[in-house]
Amino acid sequence: MGNIFPRWTNYLAVKILICLGALGTCVIAVAWYSWTPKYTRVGYMPQQPIPFDHSLHAGQLGMDCRYCHSFVEDSLHSNIPAAQVCWNCHGPGKVKSDSPKLEPLRQAMDENYENYTGEPIEWVQIHKVPDYAYFDHSVHVNRGVSCVECHGRIDEMPVVYHAKPLSMSWCLDCHRNPEKVLRPIDEVTNLDWSEDDLDQDEFYAYIAGKTGESVEDLKESDAGKKWDRKLIGAHLQQAWDVHPPQDCAACHR
Amino acid sequence: MRWFFLILAIAVVATVYALGPRGEKFSDPPFELFPDMDHQFKKRPQEPSSFFADGQVARKPVEGTVPLGFAFPHEGNEGNLSTDLDYSRGDDYYNTGQFGDFYGSGFPEEVKIDEEFLARGKERFHISCSPCHGDSGDGQGVVSKYWAIPPTANLIDPRVIAMPEGQIFWTITHGKGLMGPYNGVIPVKDRWAITAYLKALQAASGN
Repeated sequence: MGNIFPRWTNYLAVKILICLGALGTCVIAVAWYSWTPKYTRVGYMPQQPIPFDHSLHAGQLGMDCRYCHSFVEDSLHSNIPAAQVCWNCHGPGKVKSDSPKLEPLRQAMDENYENYTGEPIEWVQIHKVPDYAYFDHSVHVNRGVSCVECHGRIDEMPVVYHAKPLSMSWCLDCHRNPEKVLRPIDEVTNLDWSEDDLDQDEFYAYIAGKTGESVEDLKESDAGKKWDRKLIGAHLQQAWDVHPPQDCAACHR
Repeated sequence: MRWFFLILAIAVVATVYALGPRGEKFSDPPFELFPDMDHQFKKRPQEPSSFFADGQVARKPVEGTVPLGFAFPHEGNEGNLSTDLDYSRGDDYYNTGQFGDFYGSGFPEEVKIDEEFLARGKERFHISCSPCHGDSGDGQGVVSKYWAIPPTANLIDPRVIAMPEGQIFWTITHGKGLMGPYNGVIPVKDRWAITAYLKALQAASGN
């Protein structure tokens, strides 16, 4: 009786294992790379009904974010402005009021316009957390977390796109180490802010007033440390008693 | 095996080519692998709704009605309104800037003028008023400068300085001429804070 299995089958099992291993590695690598919000959400840049240019309004003109997103400090939801707010500057006889780009605005607002419908402008939502997560804008901006930390440099975007992943692990990064994102509250809407814009004496006086320590002690303990966001944030965290929650119920109900 | 790896390499290249790198701009709604409970039947603010005929989640009061605790303000005794009068939270001085049909002067007792209040007014002035009226209130804001909107009011002009506080509050609330109403964006108390800060600007202007 001859061999049932010819000689070449000796290594068949090993070869199959190697091939399966390579295939499995590739599948995992693809999933790892492209099944996360970094891949699926970052870069989302939908076309809006009006090509509103944030880099012009918030960047060049220097308008405050809160001119339009007026209730971000009071509400969990950062409101998209009503057409009335656009109308304040782009109404009849005002800035670029006859631009064809503003067609949906005229339809919504101008009662004398032939295509007037009164229908609101249907802006496309870009940043969205899942319905089971509850993000509150007001608690963040009132504790020195700037718009830029989650939305990126909106003031440099002609067309707004999803810049940060907004995933759970990404949220937790900051909730575990909030000092790297905290800044003085009046600089929250200044997206271009950096630690060099902060007057050190004023800052230490503010921290001293909050914590009851003396300015000299604070400066002495910081001597030799690098003046950076982390140092500023650590002081602010202590002064404001910031303890971002990390339990499930913080964001999920 | 050689063939297998060749095919695998081609598949990898094809996949990477088709899916693109991270952070690449795209305009279609994001792909959701497991939508699970990402989209629930409940609605969040300003979301569209297929339930109501107008397609919106937010409901408006029935036409011709005023919600409890709100009241129609009185018509102003001067000025052309750029939009219809909206209802306010009440018809007292604090909410309207008026006593009956007349603008009141001075600040209502609900607000306390102190440093904090003025600082709040300054911040709000810079957010909502500066783009047109300028940081100092001289009517030379960035919008007026570049687009020359026909006469943006110079707020440190004697004409405006002579205005009673109630009239300034009323103007912020309902707008005037080309200026739109800001009652929907600036809460009542902040409007008084802006009024207070404007009074300080006017005093500082020396006019």
